Amino acid sequence: MSETETITATESEKIESAIPLNEDVQKENKLKYYLSLVIDKSKSLFFACIGLLLFGGFWSFMSNYTENELPGPVATLTVMQEMLSDPFYDYGPNDKGIGLLLIASVGTVLSGFLIGSVVAIPLGILMGASKTFKQILYPLVQLLKPVSPLAWFPIGLVVFKDTGMATIFIVFITSLWSTVINTSFGIGSIPQDHKNVAKAFGFSKWRYLTKILIPFSLPHIITGLRLSIGVAWLVIVAGEMLSGASGIGFFVWDSWNALSLEKVISAILIIGIVGLLFDKLFTFIENKVSYKA
Amino acid sequence: MSYLEIKDLEISFPTPKGKYVAVRDINLSIEKGEIISIIGHSGCGKSTIMNAIGGMTIPTGGSVELAGKKIKGPGPDRGIVFQNYSLLPWLTVYQNIFQAVDAVMDCSKKEKQEIVTNNLSMVSLLQHKDKLPGQLSGGMKQRVAIARAFAINPGVLLLDEPFGALDALTKGTMQLELLKLWNLSGRDKTIVMITHDIEEAIFLSDRIVVLNNGPASTIREIEHVHLPRPRNKIEIVKMPEYLEIRDRLLHLLTDKFSVEDMGVVYKK
Repeated sequence: MSETETITATESEKIESAIPLNEDVQKENKLKYYLSLVIDKSKSLFFACIGLLLFGGFWSFMSNYTENELPGPVATLTVMQEMLSDPFYDYGPNDKGIGLLLIASVGTVLSGFLIGSVVAIPLGILMGASKTFKQILYPLVQLLKPVSPLAWFPIGLVVFKDTGMATIFIVFITSLWSTVINTSFGIGSIPQDHKNVAKAFGFSKWRYLTKILIPFSLPHIITGLRLSIGVAWLVIVAGEMLSGASGIGFFVWDSWNALSLEKVISAILIIGIVGLLFDKLFTFIENKVSYKA
Repeated sequence: MSYLEIKDLEISFPTPKGKYVAVRDINLSIEKGEIISIIGHSGCGKSTIMNAIGGMTIPTGGSVELAGKKIKGPGPDRGIVFQNYSLLPWLTVYQNIFQAVDAVMDCSKKEKQEIVTNNLSMVSLLQHKDKLPGQLSGGMKQRVAIARAFAINPGVLLLDEPFGALDALTKGTMQLELLKLWNLSGRDKTIVMITHDIEEAIFLSDRIVVLNNGPASTIREIEHVHLPRPRNKIEIVKMPEYLEIRDRLLHLLTDKFSVEDMGVVYKK
């Protein structure tokens, strides 16, 4: 018996003593690792630039082709710079800086998305955990999911008698589906192995919830939230065009009416960037909560 | 009345085609501190018997009694080591054991922490306590799983093909680790394990239960292993009794020993 212990002791000693000996080698390896990381990053940056350049070229070509009816990159970027130089001015309800408009839209999306998530996650958990709930709710989800969220706008208007609330309402509806489906899938696919652990060691309901159910399904839930906020951000533009509520979507429509295509394209680029940031944020959280089996 | 008593055990499952009997007429009396191996071909109901002792499945006939009480579900008096380790991948090595101890034991937090630390050092994993299972080798994972089962201090340890997924060298070390823990706990823990490995069964067990092929498996034979403990791997393989048992088990479990037995004739 003591033999096995001494063997493991000397083994761990070996490992520990090996570290100072190979310090130089380790440093070199670390350097190599960071170097390869930098090379990788710059490579992907380089290719991304190629993509952007191709896009810019095509855009310029189209601009020339339409004899500048479609403004080119330079004209657009000049207008965009102007917009970004004073983003927070406020000259009344229909003339606000792009920053204020973005804040309004992001606010609407986040409120609708938050309420939606608060409803969708428990619903998804119920559907994943109970076959009966799934049988009750899944057909409803299937029926309502393909409907364009804009179709809900009149219903929101009738119920809330307020365009702002109605816009939040359509974002809310939009945010439900991906989160419900992903959450229920996550909960439903908890491996029997994990359930057996809970059973064999007599885990309480609470311990099962906090130590098995939630950690296992969190990555799925976050994926659902990421997809949901993506669609919500998609919908906000159209929603504001319908509602006329001040925001980035309404700005697109307003600029079109004022025949400033430069502003329209600038807004499109800004909408894209904000959407990208939302996605990156949730991808970051996703990586934080995911685990290696 | 033995410590662990299996009486006329029958386990069947309803299927669309009617009742499927997995095992039947299983009678087995196991004493405290005994090490029992259950051996048989795949699908012969080894795990089913194990699950019945573990309380994970309820027998459809007969009973399993532990210390005179009928088993009706899983309980802290039985520690289970699953074949595929079944560690929770988002919890550290320490937390994996702590959660089990915390769920089962009725003592102060400090005592629980001590139990976890003790059991981790018994399987020489204390310096790895903050690692996640994904960072461990297969052998280390199984050591965590064994430490977890021992930590709740059960009277019976159930091991379902514990070393089946490990390479031969790691397997040898793990068998010794298991015996070490069994010795450290005063040889009073009853161990029931499922295995496919005849050498492993002889090296570890007091008795080896050979099952018939399924469906409706029964006990075919029970081999007693009277080799003295502590057993030495190199010494026992030379003992005539070891060879006899190995031969008998081989004959019980296989009927073909060469390609000629399979009807292949060499032509020059």
